[in-house]
Amino acid sequence: MSGDGSEVRVRGRDFTGYRIGGAIAAALLFLALVVQGWELFDGDARTVPEVAWSAAGDAGGESILTDEILRDRTRLQSQRFRSGPSPDGTAETFKVGDAILLGNRAIDDEDAMLTEIWRLPDDESGSLLRGSERIIGISSLPYANAALFERPFARDWRLGLADVVTHVGAFAILGFSFLLALVLAVRGRVPIAKGRTDRTVKRFGLLERANHWLTAVSFIMLALTGITIAYGRTLILPFGEELLGSLGWLATWGHAMFFPPFALGLTAMILLWTVRNLPSRLDIEWLRRAGGFFSDDPDNPPARKFNAGQKLVYWSAVIGGLLMIATGIFLMFPFWFADLQTMSWIMLTHALIAVFLIAIFIGHIYIGTVGMQGAFWAMWTGDVDRNWAEEHHELWMHELDKGR
Amino acid sequence: MARMKFLCDTDRCIECNACATSCKNEHEVPWGMVRRRVVTINDGEPGEKSIAISCMHCTDAPCVAVCPVSTLYQTDVGIVLHDKDTCIGCGYCFYACPFGAPQFPKTTLFGSRGKMDKCTYCAGGPEENGSEAEYSKYGRNRIAEGKLPLCAEVCSTRALLAGDGDEIGEIFRERVLHRGYGAGAWGWKTAYYPEDEA
Repeated sequence: MSGDGSEVRVRGRDFTGYRIGGAIAAALLFLALVVQGWELFDGDARTVPEVAWSAAGDAGGESILTDEILRDRTRLQSQRFRSGPSPDGTAETFKVGDAILLGNRAIDDEDAMLTEIWRLPDDESGSLLRGSERIIGISSLPYANAALFERPFARDWRLGLADVVTHVGAFAILGFSFLLALVLAVRGRVPIAKGRTDRTVKRFGLLERANHWLTAVSFIMLALTGITIAYGRTLILPFGEELLGSLGWLATWGHAMFFPPFALGLTAMILLWTVRNLPSRLDIEWLRRAGGFFSDDPDNPPARKFNAGQKLVYWSAVIGGLLMIATGIFLMFPFWFADLQTMSWIMLTHALIAVFLIAIFIGHIYIGTVGMQGAFWAMWTGDVDRNWAEEHHELWMHELDKGR
Repeated sequence: MARMKFLCDTDRCIECNACATSCKNEHEVPWGMVRRRVVTINDGEPGEKSIAISCMHCTDAPCVAVCPVSTLYQTDVGIVLHDKDTCIGCGYCFYACPFGAPQFPKTTLFGSRGKMDKCTYCAGGPEENGSEAEYSKYGRNRIAEGKLPLCAEVCSTRALLAGDGDEIGEIFRERVLHRGYGAGAWGWKTAYYPEDEA
């Protein structure tokens, strides 16, 4: 790399406060990653019974009595010579009226023992089994999905959502945040190496900024409502079922409410910025040198208004956003455009793209705020420091200077 | 411990829809939703069969696993119940259910579908057993009265069996032995033994 080190007046590592903050964030995120790693293997992936039946007024041997009542009643369905009033029949012991015989109580120490017992067929049950297959017939009942008998794919969907996407998403979001915090702690901010000047240049007009924040706020709200739905059980349930129910309800509505502004913002963004974000030869050099991110040297690879990193963010927003909008519309109108099978796949795609978009935009937020000195003002006031512009967008600066 | 299951003998089901009708009546299931359905396959062809289907109250129930709030839960006899107060209408259970059991009052957009409804195995919901509040949300609680689901108990040909899995399995096997043929327990592998390789 060329450049004269003596020009560097501000160093990344001098931002001590930011670096301490980064270190603390990195430590916390590392803990979160460890917890998430534990979640993978803690064996709670199975459904566990949470409520027990018990016979009213019988403190000891409750489950035995419940058992007896239900088994006796089951035997009534046997052949009449067995269950009915016949010499060989067994007289049923429990009188059955309208009185409440059984009550419920929450199981205190939930474990997967029952599930583990249930899932293994004994020889007798095993002899009854037939293969799992997708079966759809006809039905005379007035309901859209009435003809469906069996759809084994649904169990794979559950694995795809509850196990794969949720865990991949948590690792992507936490892992990337951890890396960024670590970078901040070790490297500090990307400085305006030659220091601030008193002179600024106009980088983004009012329309560009307003539209950016419209899209940004609606994206963040879509992300937060989505996270509430996807991770509410982990993040919110510890604070109470009622809270999760209320927040979940707000989130389902909010998720649909913030879709129109997001779609509008994204469309305007495409109209405003596509031309300047088309790939060019400069981007290769920029990417090869990683944008000069890791050095305080002011001689960064040359860029016009948008460098290759910004172009990547732009195209993730456009392509990812359009995919999210398309899949979202399919999901908002069940059975309009797609059947249950197609909707299942669309739902998984929607969730998977979402978690990666969230991770990518955490990176965008990082570099636009704490990650780089002076970057935030481009999108807030619209004016950036001249030295900042020279260092990061020298070709764009030259264009501006020539135009003057 | 008893494990509640449903078993429909396809060689006996005559598609009379009494199970579906009595279920709707017993629980006053709202218009547009059917907790218990009868599906006919190969209609009008040799090998035509009818099967009554509702929630199967699965082992390692996928709906409970994907529910983002704490609406769906399972009891120690295998019955899967739902709490209408916390349901947010997201529809995840609907995607995860292998039998199309969860239903919504409206097929409109995410959030405005209303609260999910599904078969309760005639076991009500989280409210006090037999209470008015429970009846208005979930229908009759027959299990608390020591009875089994009405759909099975009302079945005129005893095609639909409900109750402890070992007992109904025994009833079915004996029946198959006696008449000399049987098509097995439809849906049991998907519902109760998903990981069984046999």
